[in-house]
Amino acid sequence: MQEVRSQSNHSLSARVAQPSNLLDGGFISFQSVTKRFWNIVALDSISFELRRGEIFAYIGPNGAGKSTTIKILVGLITDYEGLVTVGGRSIRGSSGDLHKLLGYLPQKAAFQDWRTVDQALMTFGKLSGLSSSNLRIRIPEVLRLLGIAETRDRKIAQLSGGTIQKVGMAQAILHNPPLLVLDEPVAGLDPASRYEFKELFRSLRNEGTTIFFSSHILSDVQDVADRIGILNHGQVLHVGTFDELRRKLTVPKDIEVLLAKESGQVLPEEVLALLTGIDVVGPGRLIVHVRPEEDLDATINALIDGFRRGGSQLRGIRPIEPNLEELYMRFVGGVG
Amino acid sequence: MNLPLLFRDELNGFYRSKVMLVLWIGLPALSMILYVAEPKTGIPAAVFTSLLVGSIGGTIASAMLAISIISERERHVYDLFVIRPVRRRDILLSKFFAVYLCVVMAGILALGLGLLADYEFTGLAKGISYQNLESAMILLLSSLAISCSAGILIGVYSPSVLVGVILVLYGGNQASAVAILPALIYESYYWFPLVPGVAVSALLLVGAILIFNARQL
Repeated sequence: MQEVRSQSNHSLSARVAQPSNLLDGGFISFQSVTKRFWNIVALDSISFELRRGEIFAYIGPNGAGKSTTIKILVGLITDYEGLVTVGGRSIRGSSGDLHKLLGYLPQKAAFQDWRTVDQALMTFGKLSGLSSSNLRIRIPEVLRLLGIAETRDRKIAQLSGGTIQKVGMAQAILHNPPLLVLDEPVAGLDPASRYEFKELFRSLRNEGTTIFFSSHILSDVQDVADRIGILNHGQVLHVGTFDELRRKLTVPKDIEVLLAKESGQVLPEEVLALLTGIDVVGPGRLIVHVRPEEDLDATINALIDGFRRGGSQLRGIRPIEPNLEELYMRFVGGVG
Repeated sequence: MNLPLLFRDELNGFYRSKVMLVLWIGLPALSMILYVAEPKTGIPAAVFTSLLVGSIGGTIASAMLAISIISERERHVYDLFVIRPVRRRDILLSKFFAVYLCVVMAGILALGLGLLADYEFTGLAKGISYQNLESAMILLLSSLAISCSAGILIGVYSPSVLVGVILVLYGGNQASAVAILPALIYESYYWFPLVPGVAVSALLLVGAILIFNARQL
């Protein structure tokens, strides 16, 4: 999939004709959606929106309701309360034109074993509204994009799990849908394939595709997602950007300071007053805890000045940014 | 309307399968061997072979359909179909028609082989009237239709392959007898097995479609 960038200009002819009104406005909206499995509440009145052309990551512990949300969106679950709209139209009992808007990759893409990759893609392409002549151009194009061009005539039964997942991705993007719904798309992929998938996501987003995906691999989420939705016990806890999530939480203001080993660690009183404490975590490596009410950037400047005045030789200084994993653990209270 | 596309697809999958090889070659051959081994029945080979294919072939077709649907359901193969503009009933009907066509072909092959044997070897060819042949054909078509539709219903309903196989052996196989009984009772109305054949098959298929539509996949 090294050709992601060069091959990403999907032929416009392959995109299935879509009614323009479906692409307008807030693209996808969940409004007070509740789903019960007998007496178990899988989704508890969730509400959020997806904007057109964004990558939206949906994260949460096992059993939080991520797959249920996704199955409702793609129409696999039809028995739910509330309203889900795409382009302002309810997906409940929707006609074929709404179905053609989306590409879907399940957690484990499965095909009938007797099919070859080409047969599978030909069938799904036709069912999505593409013509045979269009598919003869589009199938090799998509397989090249995913780096599995050589598998075109192989039977599905002969393919590895990772390759089947790529074939699953191929069927999802074959008709160039404006909405891609992906349920843990990178789970089970090797690191190189994960990287390639992320590149593909970015490339598709740049072409205007909206991507809604769930994942447990939070580093990948942080890499590609424009916005994040956090789900726990069937409730949406947060929807917003990574920065908004960080601001929402009381994140400790910590600064890492690297000093030349031989230099001293003397700080003036007025600088120490800005801090709650200093941990020496290694030779010449300090973690400085800043008082919550103090400004982080001003404190960094005061520290630089203070260490200089105290005769210490600074090698480096940087604020410690919590990653998504730390924020997530803080947010869901260590669940999952 | 995606039924023709799905039907061609399923046909493509089924007719190349090993089970179909057994049905098309193994079963007619086996029925001829059994006929030669037990030639004192007085039944023309054509009728004997078509009855055998109708019975064993029906069971095999029923089991094949049930197992295929259960395993595809378990693996969520249908997810990628139903998220597209595909009616769920078309998925089932395409399977039914594909397998039905394949087993009917096997039945016609067996019937042809039996006819050939009657003309060449047994001397029973003179005993076969056009009506005998038509009656055997109607019986075959009806019992196979019931077996295939029972296979579809069992496939949609069964929670596991094991339960499905048990249901096919004890239920699906017996259901096809519904087509044979009227033929024994109303001998003069040779077309009569068509009535329960069509009615029972339709009933089983409607039941399967209703369950499949109601299921959250």
